[in-house]
Amino acid sequence: MKKYSMALAAFTLSAVLAQSAFAAGDAKKGADVFAEECGDCHSAIPGKSKKGPPLTGVIGRKAGTAANFAGYSDAMKDSGIVWAADKIDAYITHPKKIVPAGKMKYDGLDDAAARADVIAYISSLK
Amino acid sequence: MLNSFSKWTRASCHPALRQISKKMLVTAALFGLSASVAHAVPSYARQTGADCAACHVGAYGPQLTPYGINFKLGAYSDSDGQDGKIPVSAMVAASVTQNAKAPADGSAARTHSTVTETSLFLAGRLADNIGIFSQATSAYNDRKVSLDQFDLRYARSLKLGETDATVGLSLNSNPTLTDPFNTLGQWRFPYMTNDFVPGAGPNSPMVENLGGSVYGLNLYSFINKNFYAEAGLYNTLARSDLVAINGPLDSGKFKGLGYYGRVAYFKDTKRSNFSVGLLGFKTSIQNRSDLSSGLADDYRDLGIDASYQFLGNRQHIFTLNSSYIKEWQTLNYTNNTAGSDNLKNSIKQFRLAGSYTYNQTWGLTTAVFDTRGTKDVTLYGDSQNGQPTTAGYILQADWTPLGKESSWGAPFANVRLGVQYTGYTKYLGGSTYTTADADGNPVDRKAKDNNTLMLFLWTSI
Repeated sequence: MKKYSMALAAFTLSAVLAQSAFAAGDAKKGADVFAEECGDCHSAIPGKSKKGPPLTGVIGRKAGTAANFAGYSDAMKDSGIVWAADKIDAYITHPKKIVPAGKMKYDGLDDAAARADVIAYISSLK
Repeated sequence: MLNSFSKWTRASCHPALRQISKKMLVTAALFGLSASVAHAVPSYARQTGADCAACHVGAYGPQLTPYGINFKLGAYSDSDGQDGKIPVSAMVAASVTQNAKAPADGSAARTHSTVTETSLFLAGRLADNIGIFSQATSAYNDRKVSLDQFDLRYARSLKLGETDATVGLSLNSNPTLTDPFNTLGQWRFPYMTNDFVPGAGPNSPMVENLGGSVYGLNLYSFINKNFYAEAGLYNTLARSDLVAINGPLDSGKFKGLGYYGRVAYFKDTKRSNFSVGLLGFKTSIQNRSDLSSGLADDYRDLGIDASYQFLGNRQHIFTLNSSYIKEWQTLNYTNNTAGSDNLKNSIKQFRLAGSYTYNQTWGLTTAVFDTRGTKDVTLYGDSQNGQPTTAGYILQADWTPLGKESSWGAPFANVRLGVQYTGYTKYLGGSTYTTADADGNPVDRKAKDNNTLMLFLWTSI
């Protein structure tokens, strides 16, 4: 029992640390990163699809399920991903590593701080 | 739309074409000159769900962003996944134009206001990997509908080991129409002009003078989003085809084919991007109404071009586009028929444009143009020193209130209002050249007499 408690504590701590790393992102800076990196293909307006789905309300959404967007690959729909900050971070670092047969034509964002900023911004979109 | 320099010179456009009216020695240039109004096509925005500003600097065509470049190279076929999009757009351009002095021949008043062009586009995705950009235009001068532009594409994305490539095929109506960058004939600034603006002068490389008269089949590739290469074969349209599309019937005829080649390196960091490239074109042109001699004028064009865009978060956008093209002419036909002093001539054309756009709405552009060439008193009969030199500048300010994601009417409506001033330091050789008055008598005209102020309204749906 003690062993499980320690594991749970460690898991919780790591999750908190991971979340705090993303929470450190600056949403205001992230708006600029979004404009530079994402805005051509994704909208920040609820329900508006472009070449990619809208990113409003993406946190907690199952991948491939945005309403009114018909352009998902089967690979994305079958990925089983539920979008959270860490999942988005991994995905936008190198999309093809996470969903190899996905449609998104984006090479990835190497800058961890910029990723944190844009995730903070995306998380603020409701 | 076909442009004409006949208001400004005793002949018209390209030096070879000038022979048509001077000596009826039709040779090459003939061709309809490049289209005057570049393009903005909201049907692409409806198809992709993207706003005009995603593809175009300043939220209005045609200056492409990297997103627009990739959309074009992908055969205009990317979409938001929704069916039922109709690939049709329309455009109306109107202008008020005032020259410093009216044309000496009395062919036009000093001030003109007119609906310059009305165009209908078939532009969009036709099937997976297949798309089209085509434009039919009714121009103010004759109100006949002509096929202005045509670019039907097929493209595929390929993965070869670690190499990503887009490869495509284009059936098109103009050599530089296919180009994805913003530096060559069809796509460079100014994007709006009309027949009452003398443009960058009557002489330009042949590769820029073929629109409306030729068709071509081009193969292109874009490797790792860095290396662009394109090769095309062109031929002139038959007279019956020119009649059908209201093309220039006095155009010349290729002897053999025209060969077009293009390579470029492109680097996109999202925040900014740049390209550097080379262009080549080669063809021989005969007088369509005098084929018996078998003689043709040979044209070889070689150019270098470069572009830079700072896009940032799209609030402050800076661009620079430049090109230098040299044309070597061997005027076998023209010289043999006493249309030129020299058998071999050359033209050198330099163009540079820089722009700033605020909030994808307010734009300022400054450009310079400079064309020079070999002295040839007979060929450049309107030049007082026998040289074709034309140089000057263009200043433009414009306002594009729509075209953004949250704009009124998006993605159905867009509009641009602008004011443009073209100033000449030299025209056909120097500060003064020779033209004709209403009776056909030669008279002096100053280069600055061609300075032109234009107000324009450009709208598309």
